[in-house]
Amino acid sequence: MNFSVLTSEFWALALQGTALGLIYSLIALGYTMVYGVLRLINFANSEIFMVGTFSTMLIEIVVFKRAIDLPALSGGKLIFVLLLTLMGSMLVCALLAMLVELVAYRRLRARGTNRLASLISAIGTSIFLSESVRLLSGSRSHSAPRVLDKWSFGEVAGANFRIDTMMTIVAAIVIFIVLEIFVTKSHLGKAIRAVSMSEENSKLMGINLNRVITMTFAIGGLTTGAAAFFYTTTYENTVFNVGFNLGIAAFTSAVLGGIGNLRGAFYGGLSLGLLEQFASAILGSQWKSVTVFLVLVLVLLIKPSGIFGEAVQQTRT
Amino acid sequence: MMINLRDKGAKVWDGWNRPTRTVFTLVVIAIVALLPFAATWGPTSFLNTPITSFENVLVYPVGMFVLMALGLNIVVGKSGLLDLGYVAFFAIGAYTMGILSTLYGWNTWEAMPFGILFAMLAGVLLGLPALRLRGDYLAIITLGFGEIIRIVALNLTVTGGTNGIPGIPNPPSIFGIKFDLMNPAHYFWIVVIMILLVIWMIRRFTVRRPGRAWEAIRQDEDVASLMGVNTLVYKLWSFVIGAAIGGAAGVLFASKVMVIAPQMFNFNVSVLILACVVFGGIGNIWGVAAGAVILAYLPERIRFISDARQLIFGLVLILMMNLRPDGLLPRKKREKIKEKGAQ
Amino acid sequence: MNKKFTRGLALAASAALVFGAVATTQANAASEVTIAVQGPFTGDYAQLGVDQYPGAQFAVAKYNATKPKVKIKLIKADSQCDGTVAANVAPGIAANAAVVGVIGTSCSGEARNSIPSYKAAGLAMVSPSATAVDLTDPLSKNNGSPVFHRVVVNDATQGPALAKYATLGLKKPKVFLIDDKSPYGAGLIVAVKDALPAYGTVAGQDSVPVPLSDWTSVVSKVKASGAAVVIYGGYDADAAKFVKALRDNGYKGIFAGGDGVDTSAFPGLAGSAAEGVRMTAPDVPFDTLVSKAVLKDFQKITGVKVPGLYVTSAYDSANIYIDCIKKGNTTRSTILDCVNDGLWKGIGGGAISFDQDGDVIGGAAVGGYLVKKGKIIYDKKL
Repeated sequence: MNFSVLTSEFWALALQGTALGLIYSLIALGYTMVYGVLRLINFANSEIFMVGTFSTMLIEIVVFKRAIDLPALSGGKLIFVLLLTLMGSMLVCALLAMLVELVAYRRLRARGTNRLASLISAIGTSIFLSESVRLLSGSRSHSAPRVLDKWSFGEVAGANFRIDTMMTIVAAIVIFIVLEIFVTKSHLGKAIRAVSMSEENSKLMGINLNRVITMTFAIGGLTTGAAAFFYTTTYENTVFNVGFNLGIAAFTSAVLGGIGNLRGAFYGGLSLGLLEQFASAILGSQWKSVTVFLVLVLVLLIKPSGIFGEAVQQTRT
Repeated sequence: MMINLRDKGAKVWDGWNRPTRTVFTLVVIAIVALLPFAATWGPTSFLNTPITSFENVLVYPVGMFVLMALGLNIVVGKSGLLDLGYVAFFAIGAYTMGILSTLYGWNTWEAMPFGILFAMLAGVLLGLPALRLRGDYLAIITLGFGEIIRIVALNLTVTGGTNGIPGIPNPPSIFGIKFDLMNPAHYFWIVVIMILLVIWMIRRFTVRRPGRAWEAIRQDEDVASLMGVNTLVYKLWSFVIGAAIGGAAGVLFASKVMVIAPQMFNFNVSVLILACVVFGGIGNIWGVAAGAVILAYLPERIRFISDARQLIFGLVLILMMNLRPDGLLPRKKREKIKEKGAQ
Repeated sequence: MNKKFTRGLALAASAALVFGAVATTQANAASEVTIAVQGPFTGDYAQLGVDQYPGAQFAVAKYNATKPKVKIKLIKADSQCDGTVAANVAPGIAANAAVVGVIGTSCSGEARNSIPSYKAAGLAMVSPSATAVDLTDPLSKNNGSPVFHRVVVNDATQGPALAKYATLGLKKPKVFLIDDKSPYGAGLIVAVKDALPAYGTVAGQDSVPVPLSDWTSVVSKVKASGAAVVIYGGYDADAAKFVKALRDNGYKGIFAGGDGVDTSAFPGLAGSAAEGVRMTAPDVPFDTLVSKAVLKDFQKITGVKVPGLYVTSAYDSANIYIDCIKKGNTTRSTILDCVNDGLWKGIGGGAISFDQDGDVIGGAAVGGYLVKKGKIIYDKKL
């Protein structure tokens, strides 16, 4: 136990934890959206994230000709490159998520087989995706070029307000607000909520089930793609198995906040990010995941449906 | 094209009288026991694995995976609980053996009951809180538990940290049958005996009260509870029995490989064993055993395409689930009633 | 997916199995012996084995080109740096009567699970890169005597060298120690810590199970400790992430690592943050030791442009076996005796032989390396 780091670096840890936690939240959406509609743990989401990090890196290298030894960009060009890369990564992930749904889940769903079969299909997809990328890119980790120079707005109480950290936090909050409005106000959003409340009833009301489910996967893919972009821009690094640890963290966030619940994903990711930073400062990095696990068990014991429950898309009787 | 081999097999079996059944069972056991010699006997030598030793592959992963898949099948298949961290119990068994043998000089057979006991205790400790929760939360909690056991083993000094525990002794000989590096077949026979015991135990359970209770819970937990089945107790039982089998496998594994380290007990093992269960046919002993044999053996056999073998493994899982979602040998038809909603 | 396609798939799969069987049961000619190169060729640590193999490949190709009486065949035994896999691979190699020696293993973890089988089979091992101390410690249960040998110095030698090189030019600085929880990284940091009092003081220590994406909490600890030097025990990929996080958060101290960081890929992974990073390795780069013609030969035979880490030691390991086979030893026991008693000249010019525990006498000294302008340069002998 060592509280000196916690006291002297509290705000630094809090800020970094927030940025990391929001990346978790964005990936968690990929689990939570799908779970809300299908009651299915979309195991392949972690690998969709991984593909997103690779496409971010490739877009920067191939389309914008950035290289590891080139200086970072600035001004209008920087914003242009960042925006296009973000959109590219989101698009790739959304398409991949839709493809995964089509190949790995749709047939099984149509047959109405047990959920374990879908789960194994998801695990198979996950292995397939990460192994394909490993065969293509090798098992080494890859460095993404530096596009965004990591200048700082300044340091307050030890917390370094770096541009990439701030960009991640602001953008993630914007994405969550947009998504919240979309789900509550738009036609498709209402359809998604209807399906998650009752598949049977929404069918009766004339909702095209397959379309709604495909769109749900696409939205999950979009946010996961955004997470992949922010991840790659901040850490400038990826490897074929990057999805595993981040996937587990994101899934834990979703459960912590209440799976199937948008706000749950947000706060779940946030609390996990902060918890990880503080736990590794106090107990040492090697006990970080143990702490996270114990907190998860405690939360679920006290409130079995997560911090925020499943209120938004409550279905279970 | 859905041929239900399992039902066909059951029909043939039902048509036989008792002596025929006994002879058939004995013949099957004899063939299995002779498997270690398959690699050196002409007609079956195509089974030999390149690079790795065939006899050792039969013990781990093949034999042990069958054993653990049968154990996990009680949890996943019989009572319908999704356990993503089964490797934890395997690790607990292995570390029990490692610690008891190197610190206190116990041999494998003395440590075995304790390995099983500690795995069961861990099962109770994890199960009591976790089993009150819904199925999907159980998945994440067990997944977390599997990782945590590995990380705790990595962090503690009594478990040797990252270097693990070296110098675990081989089991002492029984009736003159030696257990050492030169005789991997002998380990295989022990594993086969353990598998037979487990199969016998599962069949006993299935026809008795616990089996019926599990079946009721799997089909509809609410109704089962309404009908007076103490669902928590029976769920816990299935969880703990599954844990015990994992623990037993761990003890034997540790005394075979002689050096254990935390890296051996990662999430992949849990996934593989779960895949064995689902691939073979959830809930059906023969399907699960067949699934485990194929999934454990195939990657070793196809080492010549070494770099792509994991990729093919993933592909097989997707194809298999899409073509035969109930597994290779699905469970009996009467058990296959539509499961309630998403539960 | 239609029925025909599925059936075709099954047919193709079974055909592949049968043909694979034919390929694997081919008998070796009598005038040929096999040496197995055991290490990771697939999996997370594949680069280590992929880097080393050309060293052995080059030595053997050169030998076979001289039309010797007994040719050598190399086989790759992929144990993925994973003890579980090694526990099956080693008995398989031991049971393969054609194999008379093993170059490997690459990692210390897989060595521990392989040694029992090779001991029982009396099969010699010469490792190019397994540096854990316990493998040659007669008091340890993991000691591999008499079959295990290594041509590199162990962590007990590298640790003090790393401590010395990391603190070079500073007067008893505060040092922060971090390991990656791998057998290699943790072992190295233990050795560094033991040697540190002569060169500096420990300001703090942390163990980080890798892979870790976000290193900022460790950075905060380093900054809070006021350390002037950070020593990392682990491999290049996470070292790159760590040093990037340190520099991006304004840490200006020295960053140093062992041979796991000293790879050709490291500067590319860490980008500008790699500048000035100090590394040690008990290996001298192959291309600095040989003439241009030899290097060209090497590139032609192996198809590898820039020799990676431990090519030198893999080359030396292979040459030990080649020399023993040249002397007419073609059985396991005679080769093991030959390896235990022999004296060779390493490619670096120094003499190589093994002490009774299998540790190298002579061999390459630990070198200090530095990243300058995105390239690793050999700085000095330590």
